[in-house]
Amino acid sequence: MTEDDIIGIYAARQKTLADFGDFAARHDDLDKMLHEACRLVAQALGTRRAKVLELQEGGGQMFLRAGIGWNPDVVGRVRIPMTEHSSESYSIKCGHPVTSPDIAEETRFEVPQFMRDEGVVALANVPILLPGGIVYGLLQVDDTKPHRFADHDIQFLRTYSAVMGPLIDRLLKANALRESEERFRLTVESVTDHAIFVTDPDDIITDWLPGAQAVFGWTAAEAVGRPGALVATAEDRQTGQPCTQTQAAARDGSAPITRPHQRKDGAQVFIEGAVRALRDPGGRLTGFVRIGRDVTERHKADASLRTLMEGIPQLVWRSLDRGDWIWTSPQWISFTGQSSGQARGWGWLEAVHPEDRDRVMLAWDQAHARGGLDTEFRIRRAADGAHLWHRTRSAPVRDAAGRITEWLGTSTDVQTQREAHDRQSVLVAELQHRTRNLISVVRSIATQTMAGTGPTPAFLDRFNARLSALSRVQGLLSRSDHEPITLPALLRLELDALGAREGSTIRLDGAPVRIRPSLVQTLALGLHELATNARKYGALSGAGGVLTVRWQVEEGATGRRLVIDWQEEGILHDPAQGQAPDSGYGRRLIEKALPYSLGALTTYHLGVDRLDCRIDLPLERPALAPAMAS
Amino acid sequence: MSAPGLAGRHILLVEDDYFAAEDLATALDLAGARVVGPAASVDQALDLIARTSRLDGAVVDINLGGAMSYDVVDRLRAQGVPVIFASGYDHRAIAAAYRDVPLCEKPVDLQRCARLLFGGDRVPVAPGISRPGPTRRAD
Repeated sequence: MTEDDIIGIYAARQKTLADFGDFAARHDDLDKMLHEACRLVAQALGTRRAKVLELQEGGGQMFLRAGIGWNPDVVGRVRIPMTEHSSESYSIKCGHPVTSPDIAEETRFEVPQFMRDEGVVALANVPILLPGGIVYGLLQVDDTKPHRFADHDIQFLRTYSAVMGPLIDRLLKANALRESEERFRLTVESVTDHAIFVTDPDDIITDWLPGAQAVFGWTAAEAVGRPGALVATAEDRQTGQPCTQTQAAARDGSAPITRPHQRKDGAQVFIEGAVRALRDPGGRLTGFVRIGRDVTERHKADASLRTLMEGIPQLVWRSLDRGDWIWTSPQWISFTGQSSGQARGWGWLEAVHPEDRDRVMLAWDQAHARGGLDTEFRIRRAADGAHLWHRTRSAPVRDAAGRITEWLGTSTDVQTQREAHDRQSVLVAELQHRTRNLISVVRSIATQTMAGTGPTPAFLDRFNARLSALSRVQGLLSRSDHEPITLPALLRLELDALGAREGSTIRLDGAPVRIRPSLVQTLALGLHELATNARKYGALSGAGGVLTVRWQVEEGATGRRLVIDWQEEGILHDPAQGQAPDSGYGRRLIEKALPYSLGALTTYHLGVDRLDCRIDLPLERPALAPAMAS
Repeated sequence: MSAPGLAGRHILLVEDDYFAAEDLATALDLAGARVVGPAASVDQALDLIARTSRLDGAVVDINLGGAMSYDVVDRLRAQGVPVIFASGYDHRAIAAAYRDVPLCEKPVDLQRCARLLFGGDRVPVAPGISRPGPTRRAD
């Protein structure tokens, strides 16, 4: 080899390096660059074949990433395991070039089968190192005939791989950055329910993401270059609100946004989010990013709810368990004069009438078990110090797991209703009073009439007794709202009027069955007739008889029925006397009037020494009684 | 004893109190009317109306054992039968839709009844029937 030859080789290799450097500077695609590296090195060394093997993550295998002179199914496909004995493992472990002029005579390592299949006879490997000494892979040139690589060939390969390392490193890093930026871009652009846009230090829009377009309506082309105040409402622009926000963000790092904003179509959207200051590593302000969510619907619902809670006449409040208030509506504040702070906790009790406080707290104690609160108490009105009755109701608010998180309650002014109810009670009492007075007037008219028509004391006696029975039952009826009327109460009322008491000769046997007010009057008159007869002729006349009244409720086809058995035993009935002179009215009452008016089934049987009367009447509702023959 | 307005008329009587019903039925009978009923409940009254081919008028108590008799009035008015209320209630206690039904306060004055039902002039009251108007017949 002449000196000129050597100079020619060096010049060609210098050119190869220069060409490669040139190519790499103009291309950002790693695969293209590696391919060109293989092409140039194979050409420079005259081997026709070259390849780049990339050490895979974990170091378990090598990937044939680029090559020249190989079958198409080799490049980008073949992976070579890093076995102990391969030439590749050997080269990487040595960390310096390895050559094999003829693999048939090679004893240091085995050559992979695919290379033999491809007719490889000689090879030279040189590791490619990234800055910092990290192994990237191998540069390998192969020949299909025995090839003794000269020292200057090896030195050239070392130089070549030393140039490749940093160039590969640059592209790997650029790719990684591009991938991460791409991921970031895809992520940000897929967020369409958040409006995101970026402005420069002067708050001029530089980046307008799809979410911003979705929320505000402007496209990126329309928005970029305009001020960030583009999305502010006219009022906010006038008061300089956008400027206040960016100033706060520049000062504090970020500032919250909770305001109505303006869409391109003029509609308002309510945005919740933040504006954040952007700074470069040197701390210099580079702009602002605004990220906000369109919460218009929720805001409307909140506003409606608030309007409702503050607009209804009820005093509204929120509470934890046992009346531990956490919020009061303005109505409570204006009614009681308490501040919201004073009402919190149990402070609201101060506005409750002292006599009612125990009852209220008792209601709260039971609210959990009952699943609600419903009570009435008086609340002091600040305007005049009057205590007005309020009905207070509350229902628990539960979380998804069903646990009570708080109580939502209202207090409604029921003073007027209570007064009306009180007035009504007075009126009812007055009406009952007048009815009873009327009865006494009727009685005196009867007496006066008797005085005119002549003395018939028997008439007067009976008539007065019946009117008295009627009068007594009015008394019971007037209280029936508060005191349900029961059968034993009716019986005792009649027996008491006759001076008779339960004991050995009078037995009452049955549960305190409640009698509907519309049944009471007629039934009481019937019982009065039975009691009066017993007093005069039967078990209560003092001649040794026994009265037993036994009753029970039976379930019938048409509803519950009350069956009353009135039995008088051991009575001395005087056949000569026959029925009592006035028994006509009493028997008609029992045998006709009770069936007609109450739908009762009655039997009345007077034996030699006993009386059996059964009254079987429907308790539930006015029953269909047989029509009376006229 | 003929009674202009009532004689020969078929009168439905709806009254839940036995003695009141019986007294009024007797009085109507003596005045020459044919009494249909009496009925003590709304169901009974509706049943009678359905089963009776001729009705010239009706005297109806408002409160029948706790139930209001408005359904009976509706049915009678629908059939064009003149109807009056006989009741201890005041006008104000009657539902607005029924305030135009003539009201005969208890105790019932039969002549007033006839006048309200048929525009008749006077109805003789049989002696011994104690259904006097409140201001007449002192002793």
